[in-house]
Amino acid sequence: MIYVLSTNITSPLGFTTEENHQAVLSGVSALKRQEGLWGLPEPFAASLFSEEQKAELAIEGYTFFEALAIRSIRKALTYTSLGNASSRIVLILSTTKGNIEALGEELYYPSKAAQRIAEAIGLNTKPIVVCNACVSGLSAQLLANHLLSANLYDYAIVVGAEVQSKFIVSGFQALKAVSEEPCRPFDIERNGLNPGEGAATIVFARTTSEESWCLLDGAVCNDAFHNVSPSPQGEGLTAAIETVMKGRDKSKLATVCVHGTATLYNDQMESKAIEKADLSDIPLSALKGYYGHTMGAAGVLETILTMRATDDGIVLPSKGFTEVGVSGKVSISEEPQPTNKTAFLKIMSGFGGCNVAALYEKTTDNSQRTTDKAKFLKTHTIKLSSEDGKTLTDIYKQQIGDYPKFYKMDLLTRLAFVASELLKKVSPREDFEGVTPVILFNHSSSIVADRQFLDTIKDAENFFPSPSVFVYTLPNITTSEIAIRHHLCGETSFYILPDKDEALMQQILEASLAGTDTPTAISGWVNAESETSYECELSMYNII
Amino acid sequence: MEQLINDLKSQIKEALNLEELSLEEFDENAPLFGEEGIGLDSIDVLEIIVLLEKNYGIRLANPKDGRAIFQSVRTIAEHVQANRKK
Repeated sequence: MIYVLSTNITSPLGFTTEENHQAVLSGVSALKRQEGLWGLPEPFAASLFSEEQKAELAIEGYTFFEALAIRSIRKALTYTSLGNASSRIVLILSTTKGNIEALGEELYYPSKAAQRIAEAIGLNTKPIVVCNACVSGLSAQLLANHLLSANLYDYAIVVGAEVQSKFIVSGFQALKAVSEEPCRPFDIERNGLNPGEGAATIVFARTTSEESWCLLDGAVCNDAFHNVSPSPQGEGLTAAIETVMKGRDKSKLATVCVHGTATLYNDQMESKAIEKADLSDIPLSALKGYYGHTMGAAGVLETILTMRATDDGIVLPSKGFTEVGVSGKVSISEEPQPTNKTAFLKIMSGFGGCNVAALYEKTTDNSQRTTDKAKFLKTHTIKLSSEDGKTLTDIYKQQIGDYPKFYKMDLLTRLAFVASELLKKVSPREDFEGVTPVILFNHSSSIVADRQFLDTIKDAENFFPSPSVFVYTLPNITTSEIAIRHHLCGETSFYILPDKDEALMQQILEASLAGTDTPTAISGWVNAESETSYECELSMYNII
Repeated sequence: MEQLINDLKSQIKEALNLEELSLEEFDENAPLFGEEGIGLDSIDVLEIIVLLEKNYGIRLANPKDGRAIFQSVRTIAEHVQANRKK
């Protein structure tokens, strides 16, 4: 468990947590219909910063994405004092596409942006980027919990940030997931999500001397069903919720803050999972009607809003909702509801089949707890590289050959997939079963797929954004392909680092697996810069 | 019509990276979904929607409208024949 020292939300509705809280309480939404923006042929509704806001937030020498994150962190830090032991502070950046507009430049690399943000706020530790698609903002908080609980750092600055662009919006439009109108979470009329931009920061500490919000526990479970569509019965989300709530009293929950993207499939699946996990009578709050889907920022932003509202004894109304349009039994309302409870559950599900649940409680119990790091043996390792003299397709044809979906994958996913198949050949069968986590790292994110997708949208005369390529512009799809292939329903995570820092990777793995009862884990480095420059080192770990 | 069916088969094979499906065994009457047929998924349908717009100028805003069209290569060909703009 870790404690919240301070927070900030910087969004089109305001530049502080308080401004955002007040705006949401007064029912304001930042969603506006956009036509012709960025030359996109189809209209969409989105929550975007105005030109005046952008000018106010800009910092010379930084991209808008970086400036947004820096502003948010600085605001959060003004309410707290972290001391000067900066080697004990880690920056965790949650984003899906970071500086995607800088594709082709050094600034594209998400860890580069994270390093520039870290330097701007005076940190000299290596930042970690969490790139787990829609669930990134919760994954990032769970990583903070692991790292602080393992006593590797005293403080974690978790910042989630996303800036919208032609790249992201055209991709979601190609997936037919975007609504032209303000979104309607859980409603019978819902027809898609709205992209949103913003940044949100939570400063976590291992301990505190005051009453504060605490991240008690979290769980990550993959559906192992499909890269993009959630499993209709919501097994992964149900499992994540049940893992977190096991042995805990659900009557303490003020609310379940849902993902509620307002796509047909997401909200339906969430309702099923909520009913199965026996939370039908807990009031839900769905917050995308105010901000849209702020992607990498969403998990952080929605957690902060829920803390702030619960402080005021309020369950936030679900803007955009009027009539239930899901089949699972849920309690949801467009009106605010009073509460005297001081705990809540935050859930998210996203591309890559990943489901996360996290439990928060306001508490005066602020004792430090250090968990023992997991100890494990590396039992097998597969190394692949562009220097091997054999292409991945050669290896697939010669040694695998029974999974035609291989040909649909982008280079990064092919690399991870082939390595995992070869690892499977040398590992006992039970190592590739059940809840074996898949935790991957790299430097270049999904640069190959990003270039391919950009090629489908850069020419206005030949503008045909490819949905299947867009899916692979989320690097964590590598983890879901492995999970789907072997029906692995445990944690899947994708982290981006400045370099192949084996010590840091080991620390993250040890901290992440502490206290889990899984006997094995698949983890390693999977980096693909181009067809002629890629490298993978994937290992099977046995936990002892 | 037969020419259009053959064109569509090679366009679909290429767009969907159906590497191991030969054009000879690609049956235009086989269902596109489910294990009985070609075994496409929801992303494949979206990719076919892009293909129809790119090559034939056919826009299909709502994939739900596509259920009847995307039964087989033959039903797609019939839709293209009736609606193509290029």
